Amino acid sequence: MKSIRRVQHLISIMLLIFFGVFAFLIYKLQTEAGFYISNASKVSMGFVYDRNGDVLFDPDADAQIYGSDYFVDIGNLIGDDSRQMTNTLVAQNIGTLANFSFMLGEQEDGQSAIHCTLDHKVNRKVYDAFGVKNGCAVAYNYLTGEIYICFSKPSVNILNHYEDLATLENGSLICRVFQPTVPGSTQKISTTIAALESMGYENLISKSYDCTGVYLNQDAKEIKCHKSAGHGIQNITEAFANSCNPFFAQLVEDPDFPLDDIQKTYEKMGYLVNAEGKQKYLDVNGISAYTASTTLESKTDFNTQWGCMGQGETLVSPLQLMVWQSAIASQTGKCTYPYLIDHTVKVNGTPANQAETKYSGQMFSELSAGYMREIMLDNGRKNYAGLLPGSDVGVKSGTAQIGNEKTENSLLVGFVDDESFPIAFCIEIDNRVTGEVSTNDIAKVLLKNLHESFYPAPDEE
Amino acid sequence: MYQNRLSYVHVVVLLFATHLSMLATVFIRGGILEVPAFLKLIAAVIGLDVGYLLITLIYQQMTYTLDFMLLCLLNMSLIFQSCFGGVNLSVRHLISCVMSLAACEAGFLLTRNHEWIRRKKPYIYAVIALLFISIIFFTDNQKKWITLGSFSIQPSEFIKPCFVLVCAASIVELHEKVKILFFWVSKDTILLCIVTALILALQWWCHDLGSLPTFAAIFFCSLVCRLCYPKAKVSKRGIALMCAAGALILLAAWNFAPEYVQKRLHVDIWADRYGDGYQQCEALIGIAKGGWLGVGAGNGSLCKIFAHESDIVFATICEEWGLLYAFLTVALILIMLMTVLMNPPKSYYHATMTAGVTAAFLAQMGLNIFGSCNLIPFTGVTLPFISEGGSSMLTCGFLVGMLKAGQSPLFLHKSAKKKKQKAVKTS
Repeated sequence: MKSIRRVQHLISIMLLIFFGVFAFLIYKLQTEAGFYISNASKVSMGFVYDRNGDVLFDPDADAQIYGSDYFVDIGNLIGDDSRQMTNTLVAQNIGTLANFSFMLGEQEDGQSAIHCTLDHKVNRKVYDAFGVKNGCAVAYNYLTGEIYICFSKPSVNILNHYEDLATLENGSLICRVFQPTVPGSTQKISTTIAALESMGYENLISKSYDCTGVYLNQDAKEIKCHKSAGHGIQNITEAFANSCNPFFAQLVEDPDFPLDDIQKTYEKMGYLVNAEGKQKYLDVNGISAYTASTTLESKTDFNTQWGCMGQGETLVSPLQLMVWQSAIASQTGKCTYPYLIDHTVKVNGTPANQAETKYSGQMFSELSAGYMREIMLDNGRKNYAGLLPGSDVGVKSGTAQIGNEKTENSLLVGFVDDESFPIAFCIEIDNRVTGEVSTNDIAKVLLKNLHESFYPAPDEE
Repeated sequence: MYQNRLSYVHVVVLLFATHLSMLATVFIRGGILEVPAFLKLIAAVIGLDVGYLLITLIYQQMTYTLDFMLLCLLNMSLIFQSCFGGVNLSVRHLISCVMSLAACEAGFLLTRNHEWIRRKKPYIYAVIALLFISIIFFTDNQKKWITLGSFSIQPSEFIKPCFVLVCAASIVELHEKVKILFFWVSKDTILLCIVTALILALQWWCHDLGSLPTFAAIFFCSLVCRLCYPKAKVSKRGIALMCAAGALILLAAWNFAPEYVQKRLHVDIWADRYGDGYQQCEALIGIAKGGWLGVGAGNGSLCKIFAHESDIVFATICEEWGLLYAFLTVALILIMLMTVLMNPPKSYYHATMTAGVTAAFLAQMGLNIFGSCNLIPFTGVTLPFISEGGSSMLTCGFLVGMLKAGQSPLFLHKSAKKKKQKAVKTS
């Protein structure tokens, strides 16, 4: 009888496993029903609002109500329910927006909605500041993770209902904030952090290398500096502010800075190094954002050195560049994950899914974060003093050579050193030409308008 | 000794109440296009109920629980199938239900005596061999169906009860072990392993990957039963070796699966909505449309989708009758399998057979329900008792008969029984 009881136990286990999976299926069907039904046909959809209650998505939007280009700055970020774009907030949260419940079915007068952290007015002002130039910008609260500004230009005007698809510029249907780009000298932040982690501040600050304009590396390849006359002998703080390529080439070659250490720090920061493993992505409320990738072969290899300076095969998304600022600005070495959805509203009007601040694991030490912060603030004070009057801003600029060095994209990443205005940002301008609008100009507009939004003048309140 | 929790009268009342309430639901919420068609359905359901209950009165058994449950399920299935896309009696499914009930009795009578089955074991192997030959030489291009006029038979379905029987019938030979290399094994176990390997290879060759996990589940149960067998005395080394072999086979199957299998394993149904993910997407949308209470029998839209009455029948029921009804139907099948926990099998042969039948039903239900709902790869197998298909219904009926045999066993052969009675009289 004992053995028969064992068989009964086996049957009980099988039945329990089946029942458990079946219960999970019922839960899944019930919670994802909104998504399924929104794929079926034209189902009543809710709205998306910004942090001030401005509409960012209206399923029945038309130009007469909103104006012909009202949604143009957020076209490829918020998107719509037409399924033309997939990596957008609406496409990824279409189930949440569907006015549908599994119990009651479709509700024409349902109250489903998404409330975003974006500030549409400021977003639009910064978008307009780009003028005729293309590029992207993203800014967030590095203490909470709320994204205030996020757009990519060229964008798409969803009110045109994709009738102008043939004439749209390349890249209009994707928000490039989440796409990989060549980081240029903003990569020197990661390399400096790796050096701080490997050598420690005292050892690193004691290192000084000479820049004569061109450095012949150990493989006899030329590393050119943007200042052809050279910067002379510099330490890390000076070289970071000067964005000196020969200094960083010599730093990578330094015997005190093993390649393994660079690789370890890069990997902790989210890089995919030498294509070993799977590319990592950040998840912003369903929107998938590239992190970073690079190739590190040998300390004396030109491409490795070039990669450590943000050229060659190194790719980083503007979002990731901004997110690293949170670990530096907060001096914790842990990133604050960004989010776009503050909360949602269910079909019956009940608020749900209130956002919570989440942090990454330890990417680098608090000590390295603190020193990196000082180096960036020093650069900000020396070279970008007027970005936000009254506040210190830690900054690093970069110039990324794209397409056989024919065009140069300009980048600027940084953070405001103020706990009451904790903003980190990344700005990128395509094919920047001297004399035209610069990342510096855009940063000023971005910080000024965001500050005004944070602390409105008394008459505006 | 045998526990029938409910009296015959109570169960009859419950049975009629279930079917009448379903018919009332069809009348109130269903898409009845023609009243005569609906009346035909009522007549068929009530007729089947009354007819089978009368038969059970004639054929005296130790327990009726499974008979009632099977009848309840089959008539529910008849109502479901007759209402897809509009209320109209499915005569084909009615015939399948009658055949399933007959198969249940056949399964019961053929498998309840373990001594008899043990003696007939070579014939079971012969039946399996015949089914093998029929699959290899007489099936269609897909290597699944034998077409006879307007009927189609799926021979691989009939291998399932035979395989369960072989697994159960060979268990008593475990104490007759011989040493091969370092291991003590019984000849029957070796033969069973060979048959299992051949069946799995045949399923792989036929591209019938839906049935493959069902056979694997039956074999797994039989293996565990062998390990639990008092005279088995399997060493820890043996168990470890078996686990390692199983893991290796799984890994190899996963890595070396052909392209069409890999595609099924990794398909993103929403990205390929009008390609490989079409049926599953439509099934999920249908379930969402149905909600908890459904859109009404015959009012669904899934009836336009291919295999709505078989492979994605769970979703079709969800859409028309609601997830609540679908849940109750699945729960009824699970309760039917749970009866074995209330009325334990009386021999190890019956216990192994019961475990094999349970594994077969659960594997097939899991593949159908979880596959159509995109929890696991979609394989296109039938849902026991509910899906349309004569071969499947016959097999399910036979398997329930085997479950029943586990609860109403016969230990003595008739001639032995007579001899015993004679001896008692003379003494």
